[in-house]
Amino acid sequence: MLQITNLHVRLKDGREILKGIDLTVAAGEVHAIMGPNGSGKSTLAAVLAGRDGYEITEGSVTYQGRDLLAMPADERAREGVFLAFQYPVEIPGVNNMYFLRAALNAGRRHRGEPELDAGQFLRAVRGKLKLLEISEDLMQRAVNVGFSGGEKKRNEIFQMAMLEPRLAILDETDSGLDIDALRLVARGVNELRAPDRAIVLITHYQRLLDYVEPDRVHVLQGGRIVESGDKSLAAELERRGYGAADAA
Amino acid sequence: MSAPLDTQIPALNEGYKYGFVTEIETESAPPGLDEDTVRFISAKKGEPEWLLDWRLQAFRAWEKMAAPNWAKLNVAPIDYQGATYWSAPKSADDAPKSLDEVDPELLAMYEKLGVPMREREALAGVAPRNVAVDAVFDSVSVATTFKGQLAELGIVFCSFGEAVREHPDLVRRYLGTVVPQNDNFFAALNSAVFSDGSFAYIPPGVRCPMELSTYFRINAAKSGQFERTLLIADKGAYVSYLEGCTAPQRDENQLHAAVVELIAHEDAQIKYSTVQNWYPGDAEGKGGIYNFVTKRGACRGDRAKISWTQVETGSAITWKYPSCILEGDDSVGEFYSVAITNNRQQADTGTKMIHIGKNSSSTIISKGISAGRGQNTYRGLVRVQPRAEGARNYTQCDSLLIGDRCGAHTVPYIEVRNPSARVEHEATTSKISEDQMFYCRSRGLSQEDALSLIVNGFCKEVLKELPMEFAVEAQKLLAVSLEGSVG
Amino acid sequence: MSAVVDFPVKPEARPYLEAFAESASEPDWLARFRKQGLDRFARQGFPSRRSENWRYLDLQPLEKQPLLPATAGPFAAAPELELTSAWVRLFIVDGTCRSAVFRDLPEGIWIGSMERAIRERPDLVRSAATSDNSAERPFAALNAALFADGFVLDFGPGVVLDRPIEIAHLASNPGASHTRSLINLGAGSRATVIENYTGAGRAGRYWRNDVASWRIGDGASLTRIALIEESADAVHLGEVTATLGTGAKLDAFALLLGGGTVRHEASVTLAGDHAQCRYDGAFVVSGREEANIVTNIDHAAVGGTTSELIKGVAAGSGHGAFQGKIIVREGAQRTDAKQTSRNLILGRRASIDTKPELEILADDVKCAHGASVGDLDEAALFYLRARGIPTDEAHRLLVEGFLREPVEGVADAAIRDHLLGRLSARLARLEQWT
Repeated sequence: MLQITNLHVRLKDGREILKGIDLTVAAGEVHAIMGPNGSGKSTLAAVLAGRDGYEITEGSVTYQGRDLLAMPADERAREGVFLAFQYPVEIPGVNNMYFLRAALNAGRRHRGEPELDAGQFLRAVRGKLKLLEISEDLMQRAVNVGFSGGEKKRNEIFQMAMLEPRLAILDETDSGLDIDALRLVARGVNELRAPDRAIVLITHYQRLLDYVEPDRVHVLQGGRIVESGDKSLAAELERRGYGAADAA
Repeated sequence: MSAPLDTQIPALNEGYKYGFVTEIETESAPPGLDEDTVRFISAKKGEPEWLLDWRLQAFRAWEKMAAPNWAKLNVAPIDYQGATYWSAPKSADDAPKSLDEVDPELLAMYEKLGVPMREREALAGVAPRNVAVDAVFDSVSVATTFKGQLAELGIVFCSFGEAVREHPDLVRRYLGTVVPQNDNFFAALNSAVFSDGSFAYIPPGVRCPMELSTYFRINAAKSGQFERTLLIADKGAYVSYLEGCTAPQRDENQLHAAVVELIAHEDAQIKYSTVQNWYPGDAEGKGGIYNFVTKRGACRGDRAKISWTQVETGSAITWKYPSCILEGDDSVGEFYSVAITNNRQQADTGTKMIHIGKNSSSTIISKGISAGRGQNTYRGLVRVQPRAEGARNYTQCDSLLIGDRCGAHTVPYIEVRNPSARVEHEATTSKISEDQMFYCRSRGLSQEDALSLIVNGFCKEVLKELPMEFAVEAQKLLAVSLEGSVG
Repeated sequence: MSAVVDFPVKPEARPYLEAFAESASEPDWLARFRKQGLDRFARQGFPSRRSENWRYLDLQPLEKQPLLPATAGPFAAAPELELTSAWVRLFIVDGTCRSAVFRDLPEGIWIGSMERAIRERPDLVRSAATSDNSAERPFAALNAALFADGFVLDFGPGVVLDRPIEIAHLASNPGASHTRSLINLGAGSRATVIENYTGAGRAGRYWRNDVASWRIGDGASLTRIALIEESADAVHLGEVTATLGTGAKLDAFALLLGGGTVRHEASVTLAGDHAQCRYDGAFVVSGREEANIVTNIDHAAVGGTTSELIKGVAAGSGHGAFQGKIIVREGAQRTDAKQTSRNLILGRRASIDTKPELEILADDVKCAHGASVGDLDEAALFYLRARGIPTDEAHRLLVEGFLREPVEGVADAAIRDHLLGRLSARLARLEQWT
């Protein structure tokens, strides 16, 4: 599904953030990428989603056999790549429902599927809202405007559920959530696990992994993956902290 | 419950403490203005032909111009033919060779003003930091300190007249390139009759080790003061410049029409600070200085930076817009201003930020305080030219009103010709908070102290930009300027 | 007959003086009023850009060639209006009221053409018409001389009509239409008026000069929406003077979506205590269009509130400008005024000017203004694209979202939806986003 080879990325100011990432994620798998602050986790997520402002100096990213880095951000999304933002953006004046329908139909047009009319769309929305316990009136507001931190994160997962991506990247979706919200988010993610879908969880803490069991765990530090293992690695990291990973 | 503000407070009555007149023999040009006056001034100063021609060009341009008619200012008609355009201490005729030759009366006067004219040995931790001073008395620069020490670094700091004699190439190359002779009515007048002023040139890569300063003093009656300051920071140079002004108390209005030109080359930085305390006139609006000044800086090179800081407490009328022309890519302009108007004072001040270079950025912080029957206007222009890709401006303009007879006006002009520019302007107007006053007073502060505390807090973002030497003086001035405004 | 005058006449005013014809059938007071207007215009001529109030409008389209009142051509049929909730409809075609549709009106409402009002209700018209003689309004002066018609709306005390009154102004021939209107609301009455200004396809080059006067009595409330969708070659100058009594309320919104040169100007005086004024607006310019919103809100009494939100979008080589002034007079204590101007520049050659101005002469006030000019928020754009929305559509969504805010302040749901529909249609026609 996703193959990252020797990926080097630097910022416009010349600072190198990713210094050679190798990572392969197969369909049906859930991978967790853990690491301390400043290790390059969010940069990796942003680069995969196609945000401007990064320079790829070396390496490649292949997604479903295609060169992911050659696609503009919106095409990636229509091809099934989804990024749940660490800081979801507020967009005043743009209605949440309208936005979501525009996104959903852009994807459907892209795949040659008929667009959903308002009725079909509403039925689809209602089912998923219930799953994430999001109230319908939140949907009538502008995108993320006036949402609490937890509401924003749940809205990301809700969008993910609606858009049904092939590859979902969750950037610190667990940060700042209380335990109830965390459970809801985990429920949304687990609901989406499927043999033809890959999920990458980027997180600082192990606690989300108590609810979403990863197949593989990687430690990102100083711009490189310094250690990989199965789910037991997450628990081990929690015990010994990131400092010890250097030694491994 | 908050304290009523109408309690009569005992006035400190320090009043305008700079209002003394110095008895010095002066030599003046006969009043009036024609080409002969211009020739007289130029001859008095022994100027070269090119400069006389330059003045005459300016004079001819001025003759064709009409005095501006401002929307918000109430200006009594100025009798340009009744004013004196040249007044100099007589002893300046045989110009003092060193400070020791300076008229002791003059030195005493500067002492009185708190302007350090004696080069003191800087004792670590004891003496204040050195400040090189050029003192301008009426029309003439009387003394410049620390010249020797500065010369060792290649820095030129002298009176304008001396610069014309000693560094004619520099003067000729830069004079009028930022403020052309015909820029506006008062700039044209200044260009024709300017008497003296300060000149500084900082060579490439040199960081000027001390503050350069000019102290202006209008002394003679019925005289205008028309000084000209020209400041050049060559590539990578840095200079911080201070300007202070006072005048005696006189019943009639006196005109001060200065021109300041700053040029910052690539990677150079100029910081220009002004504490303006010209005589504001009395409580009924009689007398006081008309302060009509053109100040402008050009960031000629990439990454050049010009920063204006001003504290305007004096003058009957202040009309000035220290501006930045941001020609270089990534160049930076800043304007920090406090303007106080009390009694019948009027201030119309602000800035112009002209963005020409790519990614040029500017910041404007303006604090206006109106009391008594004072009228205070912020007028500012932010213009982004078509090729100023990525230009940025942030403007914040706050007005504080003390009493219900004064006025606070905010007039920003924002003109954007490039889609990638971002310009933001925010302004607020509020009255002094009775709750804040009460809180301070319930902690034992007097009404004046509370007012001074709150006003200083309101101005803090600007005052912190001032060099230490000036910040203290500025704070005291704020307090004095507002005397009697609460009550 | 052309007017004879004994003072210097501005050259650009000459053709208009020559076109002026006295009408024998009009009452004396009106003839005098027209002459005074003509004299004022002759003396002043067109405003120059040095005049602070006209700093940001290019009047060249008018200056190049005078636009004189249209000689009666074939009038276009009144268009079908989309606002189904409207209770009263007036059609003003090429400056003359051509038809009116009424449903049952409550007692105490007089509505009709200006021409009829001059005959039937001179009491109303005379005082309003003769009160405007301010110096800096040359086009209002010309309007006084040349206006053919317009409408008058009078609500007696306490009369309430919540359904909208719709006034459709249609240009169907080249030339100039000078219209003059009056809204007079008695104490405690309430009205909602929507005026739309459009040009028929064949109208070509025309000039609309619309002058209105509103008097909102004590405790009365006026909601007024202006929707301006003129033709590409049109010049639209609209000028409103409003006076608010004690506790009166004005809720105004202007949506400028089309026209070569469009200026919407409002001067509002809060004459009574505790009056409330909301004046919002939005403009979209593209091609070589010019749009100006100019407001002058004068707090002359205590406890007044003003809220202004003006949003502008300039694409192509369009130029948009906002000039807004809030005055708080001496003694107008406890005024609360807020003025916000937000703008987007979308085209390489597009430009925006904004000048929000505060003039404050009282101390116990809360006044603030803010202005910004910029491009679309990069983070929001990326967010939309990361959800698969193509760049062009993401741009359009953000621009629409940006402009919706003032439209959503319109309380009447049917009008609001109508405006949002027109806005969407306008944005769909906007040139390629660059």
